[in-house]
Amino acid sequence: MSPLNETKLAFVARHAIAIALSVMFLCPIVFLALTSFMSSDQSLTANLWPTAWHPGNYAEVFARTPLPRYLLNTALYATFATLFMLLASVPAAYALAKLRWRGRTTIFVAIVCMMMLPPQVTTVPLYLMWADYGLTGSLWPLVLPMLLGDAFSIFLLRQFLLTIPDEYLDAARVDGCGEWRTLLRVVLPMAKPGIAAAAMFQFFYAWNDYYGPLLYTSENESAWTLSLGLASFRTLHAVQWNIVSAATLLTMVPIVVVFFFAQKAFVQGVTLTGVKG
Amino acid sequence: MPSLSRKIRISSVMATAALLAVSACTPGEAEKPVASPGTEASGTVEFWHFFTDREAAAIDTIVADFKAAHPKIDVVVKSGQDDTKMLQAIGAGQGPDVGLSYSTDTVGKFCASGAWLDLKPYIERDGVDLAKIPPTVRSYTEFKGRRCAMPFLADTYGFYYNKTLLAEAGIAAPPKTLTELADAAKKLTKRKPDGTIERAGFLPLFGFYEHSPSHLAPAVGAKWLNDDGTSAIGSDPAWLELLKWQKDLVDWYGFDKLEKFRASLGDEWSADNAFHKGQVAMMVDGEYRIAFLRDQAKDVKFGTAPLPVSDAHPDWYGGGYVTGNVIGVSKTAKNPEAAWALIRYLTTDTGAIVKLANLIKNVPSTTDALAAPGDLGNDADFKVFLDIFAHPHTSTTPPSAVGPAYEEALSTYLQKYQAGPAGDPSAGLKDVDKQINQLVQLAG
Amino acid sequence: MVAVTAKRAGRATSAAGAATLRQRRRRDRLTVLSFMAPVLLGLLVFLVYPLVASVYFSFTTFDLVNAPRWVGLRNWEHLLQDPNVRKAAANTLWLVVVLVPARMLGALATGLLLARFKRGAGVYRTLFYLPALAPPVAATLAFVFLFKPGTGPVNTLLADLGIQGPLWFNSPEWAKPSLVLLGLWGIGDLMIIFLAALLDVPKEQYEAASLDGANAVHQFRYVTLPNIAPVLLFAAVTGVIQTLQYFTQAAVAASVASGQATTGGGISSTFGYPEGSTFTYPLWLYVVGFRYGALGYANTLAVVLFVVAAAVTVVMLRRFRSFL
Repeated sequence: MSPLNETKLAFVARHAIAIALSVMFLCPIVFLALTSFMSSDQSLTANLWPTAWHPGNYAEVFARTPLPRYLLNTALYATFATLFMLLASVPAAYALAKLRWRGRTTIFVAIVCMMMLPPQVTTVPLYLMWADYGLTGSLWPLVLPMLLGDAFSIFLLRQFLLTIPDEYLDAARVDGCGEWRTLLRVVLPMAKPGIAAAAMFQFFYAWNDYYGPLLYTSENESAWTLSLGLASFRTLHAVQWNIVSAATLLTMVPIVVVFFFAQKAFVQGVTLTGVKG
Repeated sequence: MPSLSRKIRISSVMATAALLAVSACTPGEAEKPVASPGTEASGTVEFWHFFTDREAAAIDTIVADFKAAHPKIDVVVKSGQDDTKMLQAIGAGQGPDVGLSYSTDTVGKFCASGAWLDLKPYIERDGVDLAKIPPTVRSYTEFKGRRCAMPFLADTYGFYYNKTLLAEAGIAAPPKTLTELADAAKKLTKRKPDGTIERAGFLPLFGFYEHSPSHLAPAVGAKWLNDDGTSAIGSDPAWLELLKWQKDLVDWYGFDKLEKFRASLGDEWSADNAFHKGQVAMMVDGEYRIAFLRDQAKDVKFGTAPLPVSDAHPDWYGGGYVTGNVIGVSKTAKNPEAAWALIRYLTTDTGAIVKLANLIKNVPSTTDALAAPGDLGNDADFKVFLDIFAHPHTSTTPPSAVGPAYEEALSTYLQKYQAGPAGDPSAGLKDVDKQINQLVQLAG
Repeated sequence: MVAVTAKRAGRATSAAGAATLRQRRRRDRLTVLSFMAPVLLGLLVFLVYPLVASVYFSFTTFDLVNAPRWVGLRNWEHLLQDPNVRKAAANTLWLVVVLVPARMLGALATGLLLARFKRGAGVYRTLFYLPALAPPVAATLAFVFLFKPGTGPVNTLLADLGIQGPLWFNSPEWAKPSLVLLGLWGIGDLMIIFLAALLDVPKEQYEAASLDGANAVHQFRYVTLPNIAPVLLFAAVTGVIQTLQYFTQAAVAASVASGQATTGGGISSTFGYPEGSTFTYPLWLYVVGFRYGALGYANTLAVVLFVVAAAVTVVMLRRFRSFL
């Protein structure tokens, strides 16, 4: 077998596996999509193909909830949470990964520990704190903490920064750059994939967050997010899964678009490492 | 930087101290004195409820009626609220004036903690006649003598049967006793040649749809709690009667076959509900099922009836299970007078109750409203549930300081029990008692 | 600069040198502080404060409304004889032991596959990531529904192939493995982290290795693994922490499987279905604290969870110190 044939075979095999996996990953989403076109009587029955198509479900989502308003709130929450998180977490991750100082390991472990208390109990004292500051009824209690960093993101960013060889940093330092300039000029461009991943996670987490907005904004509908809006398509005894599915897919569209463009950052990582050598 | 680290330490201590202070001095300890009779309430009331969408619109209609009758009171309605969130908000002094809770599970907690005010002074001052609320419903809206809640509509559970299938099997009337139920269940059951179940006359598994111990307990008059709030499950022989009956029927089918059959059934809240599809011929369910059946399974000819009862007490026949939504005034209410005016209207005004019951298709919760229930009363199937509601042997799950802990502790045990070999559950039930009583202690 | 100067300054011996050393040290500390200050404050507000609160609450009885009342060791004593906690902890540990490695292996495999694509990479990445983008409740509902034994397409498909499918989420033996499948389906988040790390491995290292005659396995072992090790450690540590808090999927899967797909207030009645096999530790914590009103005891459970997570994390970090 010639090398050319071998690569061709590998090419086909690779795509075959990827396509098969794509189908598996897609199936439940397709299920939601099909459900979103069903009558409410057909949803969640064994009949998976809509007997009659009801594109009107999507119109109903818009008619029954102030979707643009929820969308705006969600976008603001996700955007500011992400920006604030990066502002605080990137420098901290840099200090933890690339600077040597006493207590570094202790602080690092403490940061990891921030993730370990179950949210069900931490919200109790934190809710009291935010009520004391008069900020309940808004999304601020979910956005402001990001100014003080996010444990998951700091940990993730730190691990990515560790993979950057010290020589690049030393070179910048020899050129007379301070640590902040080293971070901004040298480290940031090299750490793009890690930063992109951390930013995406934060953004998507905020986008789908349900319990946070429920706890802090349920009494103020003008601050509701899409996730809270999703929960309103029900009656006392039953959920209208067809409408919920339609609303779920509508909610996903913006972040799928965001993801499609954001994941391009991962290609840049490759070209940059080419420069590294 | 020693000064900074000291600052950090100090602020850490301060943060901790602040926490203790905040959690220790939640506002509104003293209950405000009640105004003298005849005072007209005025001002703004904030009202939180859990309804959404169509049902929330029904609430808005009734609130508009209230505002028309009480021009000095303005009501701000917040829909889609959550019970736990409401409790947290009340604890932080940010709660509503009036709260509507989804379930009677919260009554014990809301009353015992004082999250909801005792309404007794208002009731006495305004001469509200509580006798117009059936005793069972009265019992689930108070806790240890504190009337902190009023009933706001109710769900009533009874017996559904498929008329066509019963006629095919030559059963003339719905079963009235547990023995009749078991006999009918066996007659109505159809198996495939390989022995698997194709249709179950009655699916006796605890945990199937609405077949919870709570909904079946009224059949044998089983008691949940003693007067002191401890568990009565292990000491009331009625439970053994129910369990023996249930386990016998489960074993007649074979647990594995039943569980496999159950796993093959559609979702309770979909048009594939096994009763809609004729896969079960009889079941216990709430009055709301009528609307689903008429909407999703037009060709199913069904009948409604009271719950079959213990063979030893045929005279108990006529009842079922009842529960409902409950409404109360937060201890942090800024305007308790106006809040009470709203609650009084929603829970004692016959016109308002009947209108709301008809809009939401629930059971109205006072005897006056039951006597003249509007269109609901003209519906023969629904009428059965109105009668169950008013029946003296209809029972409920009593409020407890630990919410639904006693029901769920029993359910957890029964999941195991019904799957296992036949045996005496007495020891297991005693163990359930122990768990519940420990939880009551922990929460107390 | 910090590291470099500190090392160089260490050789200085004169008194003047010592003075500059102190100065430099102070400047270095200020530099570190300028990077860390917000996060140090964050540690106080979001770690120390809730942790102190939780430890304090664990010695009290607390109902969210009234001031906590001190009850000494009562909650802690109850912990030792609570049968539910033992069952829930066993379920959660099972998930930690199986779900975390399964997800890591799956994510690494898909990450390696995707790293090989140039054209069409964006589309595949998006498709693979899609499940992780869906709101967890709807995603879990959809997944479990496809695995419904009687009506779902998975068993229908298996039956067409002549295989009798198991009861999946409806069987006490299969429910947890089914949750692992659900976790594998939502692998996108880990996959993206691994992919970013894989693409960041310097190409010249592969070239050098292949010049030395290393085959694909050797390249993976001696080039890929060391380069992505920090990220693997991250995935393992956060995987354990998140799985210890596994909640939403277990709750939704049980309610859908039991045939009561509702989001109503009574959802906790289906927790753990079938036969308690999916009843996780955080579910019990939530139920006992917020449904049964024993919030003091729930905090006891939370403190235990914290200690377990911290212990496991410290062990993992030590074990893989070379990757720190």
